Amino acid sequence: MSAIRKNTWFMACLYILVFFLLAEWLTPVMTLTSTGHKTLFLVFIVLGLLMALFKVPWTISGPVKLLYIVWFIVHVYTDAFFFSKDAIAFVWSDMQINSQALFSQNWAQTTDIFRTVLFFALLWMAVYLIHYWVSFRLSIFLFYFFTVLFIAVLDTFSPYTGNTAIIRIMVIGLLLAGLLHLARWTERHHIELSGDKIAASVIPLFLAIAGTTAVALYLPKAGPVWPDPVPFITSFSSQAGSGTGGNSVGRIGYGVDDSQLGGSFIGDSSPVFTAEVDDGQYWKVESKDIYTSKGWELTQNVGDVAVYENGDFIKTDFVPGEAGEEDTAVITMDQNFPFVLYPYGTESIQMADSPNYQYDAADQRIETFQQGNVFEPQSYEISYSEPSFSLTALRATAPENLAELPASLDRFLQLPDELPQRVRDLAIEITSSATTVYDKTRAVERYFSNGSFEYSQLDIPVPEEGQDYVDQFLFETQRGYCDNFSTSMVVLLRSLDIPARWVKGFNEGELLETEGTRDIYQITNNNAHSWVEAYMPGVGWMLFEPTIGFTGSSEVEFDVEVDATDPVEREQPERPNPIEEEDDSAAATTEEDNGPNLWDRAADMWNENKAKILWSAAGLLVLAGVLYKIRQKWLPKVLIPYYRSRGENASTFEKAYLRLLKQLELYGIKRREGQTLKSYASYIDSFFGTSDMTRLTRAYEQAVYGGNPESVDWSELQESWENLINRTSG
Amino acid sequence: MDAKDRLNAVIDNIEKVIIGKRNIAELSIVAMLSHGHVLLEDVPGVGKTMLVRALAKSVGADFKRIQFTPDLLPSDVIGVSIYNPKDMEFHFRPGPIMGNIVLADEINRTSPKTQSSLLEAMEEASVTIDGVTMTIPKPFFVMATQNPIEYEGTYPLPEAQLDRFLLKVKMGYPSSKEEVEVLSRSQLSVPIDELEAVISLDELLHLQEEAKKIKVEDSIKSYIVDLARQTRIDPYVYLGVSPRGSIALMKASQAYAMLKGRNYVTPDDVQYLAKFVFGHRIMLRSEARYDGITAEEITERILAKTRVPVQRLVGQ
Repeated sequence: MSAIRKNTWFMACLYILVFFLLAEWLTPVMTLTSTGHKTLFLVFIVLGLLMALFKVPWTISGPVKLLYIVWFIVHVYTDAFFFSKDAIAFVWSDMQINSQALFSQNWAQTTDIFRTVLFFALLWMAVYLIHYWVSFRLSIFLFYFFTVLFIAVLDTFSPYTGNTAIIRIMVIGLLLAGLLHLARWTERHHIELSGDKIAASVIPLFLAIAGTTAVALYLPKAGPVWPDPVPFITSFSSQAGSGTGGNSVGRIGYGVDDSQLGGSFIGDSSPVFTAEVDDGQYWKVESKDIYTSKGWELTQNVGDVAVYENGDFIKTDFVPGEAGEEDTAVITMDQNFPFVLYPYGTESIQMADSPNYQYDAADQRIETFQQGNVFEPQSYEISYSEPSFSLTALRATAPENLAELPASLDRFLQLPDELPQRVRDLAIEITSSATTVYDKTRAVERYFSNGSFEYSQLDIPVPEEGQDYVDQFLFETQRGYCDNFSTSMVVLLRSLDIPARWVKGFNEGELLETEGTRDIYQITNNNAHSWVEAYMPGVGWMLFEPTIGFTGSSEVEFDVEVDATDPVEREQPERPNPIEEEDDSAAATTEEDNGPNLWDRAADMWNENKAKILWSAAGLLVLAGVLYKIRQKWLPKVLIPYYRSRGENASTFEKAYLRLLKQLELYGIKRREGQTLKSYASYIDSFFGTSDMTRLTRAYEQAVYGGNPESVDWSELQESWENLINRTSG
Repeated sequence: MDAKDRLNAVIDNIEKVIIGKRNIAELSIVAMLSHGHVLLEDVPGVGKTMLVRALAKSVGADFKRIQFTPDLLPSDVIGVSIYNPKDMEFHFRPGPIMGNIVLADEINRTSPKTQSSLLEAMEEASVTIDGVTMTIPKPFFVMATQNPIEYEGTYPLPEAQLDRFLLKVKMGYPSSKEEVEVLSRSQLSVPIDELEAVISLDELLHLQEEAKKIKVEDSIKSYIVDLARQTRIDPYVYLGVSPRGSIALMKASQAYAMLKGRNYVTPDDVQYLAKFVFGHRIMLRSEARYDGITAEEITERILAKTRVPVQRLVGQ
């Protein structure tokens, strides 16, 4: 070990940089998992690094860290004073609970404290590993690489934004790489640098990195060439290289602009409002009528605008259900909107400050005003009664009646001229066996549950120039989220001359708690949703839900024997998590498909997961390649125990020696073709400053050339061999 | 005393006289142990004669010297039957070849006829005169010297006869420091006269037998063969090393291993001796001479590219 590792200032610099790198790991983990007490965890890391820096023996550092962890638990989870009787009792009882849970394999019963301890163990391990890399191997590249990867992955796939983190990591990484390179260089050439000399080499490095960073920050940045790699690559491979334009990943939530649909979404669980209702409801905001083949727009100034006040009966397109079945919904907003989120069958609204409610028939939006100004309500009550539909009436909806509909509904039949013919053909094909308008609509709604469509918020492309959003979904991607399903259904219905419109709002949300008959739902941005309303001749507007995972095709039973007045209710499944739902339905499909044969299923599986399988295979290949490439580094760790376990055997030594030759070659000291073992050995020994290789070689020559393998005492040579093998991994 | 110590005693003894030429002394011993002969190629006055005399004295052997001249006849070498008028019979007068250690000085000065008489004797270890075959006493070791063939008035040795020498060695001038030491030592006395035998002839004969028992692993044998075959296919080589050359290399390696105190041959032995064994056995094409490439360089090249065996030969 040369002087540079003994220079405490130099090592302290390294450890400080390492600390910042570790902190970059901790920050997103803590934010994403909503873990608190970040400072205390950072203190733990500092503690670990400090003790590593000053080479505190593990007999001291171990107990200190354990003590800190126990103190943390007592401090965070109890009010008790550390070392007090209560604190010890608390920790003790918790340990018992956890050990019982672990022994009985009841993982769910382990307490938070247990998880905290695990987290600490992880940090402990991370600190140790990095300490090892920095002080012994003088190399941090692997860890640095994973840090960059980690932040990049989190930035791409989670709400965590790593914009500044990645810059910090870059700077830290450059500094670390420079310092460690200096250390390795001086050691390799056995140069002993004094403190001044080290400073003279390090300061220019700092200045250079500071300078380049400053310039880099100041320079204008080009936009991303690949906005998001995953959807890009998938769409690239699935569209056979046609390439895509401006794909982007949005964050889910309610938005106003729907003119450009498509692109991937990532979840956002920030709450929008809570609703206290008897049953979960779909909360409508508005509808749109013009399909542009890229998205939705609204015809301006077409409908009447009516103004209501608190308690007035608000006339919507839906007739409330029977009197006596009224419910009251209590809405408490977390985000503020200048309009009302209302359930189907809304009768009247009640809120403080008595604003005016302006119902616009064009988009069915109920906006709130107060003295002419936009008003954003904090909470309100809506009384509503779920509409019911007569099955008899629905069965009387003959397609011929569609021609006699009033002209005011024409705008709900609009379709872009460039809509591909195959979409229209598909609509006719789907509904060919249905006789009534209602059955046709249901057939279209059910079409999406036929197993070939997949619910996903990720990897969803934006239609290209000249490509139709619905056409792309129906015939190419067949995967998407509510916008894809609802828009497609509207377009299919319109191509059958059934008036339909695209509705935006929120679904029922997540059931938080139940108080008697009242359920309290939390609606977050994740619950932003879109669905379909279609006009049944003679009946009126009805809600339809084409998005898979939000309804089941079997949920509505139309028993012929049932009284014709049996209401057809919009059943709203209490299935708050659409993604889980999608998994269920996918599982159900595969179970049903058990019939055919193994090959078909394998082929299906291949087709469905082609991209995943290929990427995993590619990933594994790359991993294998990397492992093979760096085998010199890890192989010794495997070889030493292996040859130890082989024991005393004449051939063990020879094999071990040949393995050592290979390992040395990997290390970079290759034996030339015509070089004898003896001259190679003396070169190796002069390189490492040992005499082990000569010693081993003499024994090997005796064994092989002398034909006398029994003369070798492997146990005696093992130490030399291990010494050399270990050096090759450095 | 084991073989290594005894042989090193001989070498140490020689070194008292010949300064800074330990490797040449070693090689001479190697040749002697493996029943071979040495061709020393160098200019006069660098101590060739002294080396051979020292060697002879060290092993207590009978030393003879033949100075080859253009008018030397075969009978001058192997001996002649002379008529004795007293008993009216021919009596054989043995020539200088009938010794244990013979220095054949400037062998390329004499006519091919005389050369071949010497070389036949070397190969057969016996001479035939007037139909009577006489065995040369053992051990029999010839060290021939030749001036570099570029010198005028020489008869180059034919290829077949060169093959009879186990090793060809170049002596070279001593370094200036060594030469000063040579001067100091010869100032007062002739060092060679003070030399004593350190081993007996019987011991030497015994060591010759022992050298044959030195283990040569099959992989080493095949390494030797590989080297020899490489010389035969080299584009610069007109005539490569014969199987006799391969045998020579093996035997020399055995003797060298014994000298180094081992009872087995290593590739290092083979590599060290290859240039002395192969050097005079490789006949170069004219192209090699135009390109300034020597047989030694070709040997070096072959050594560098032929794979050294590091494992036991399996399955043969």
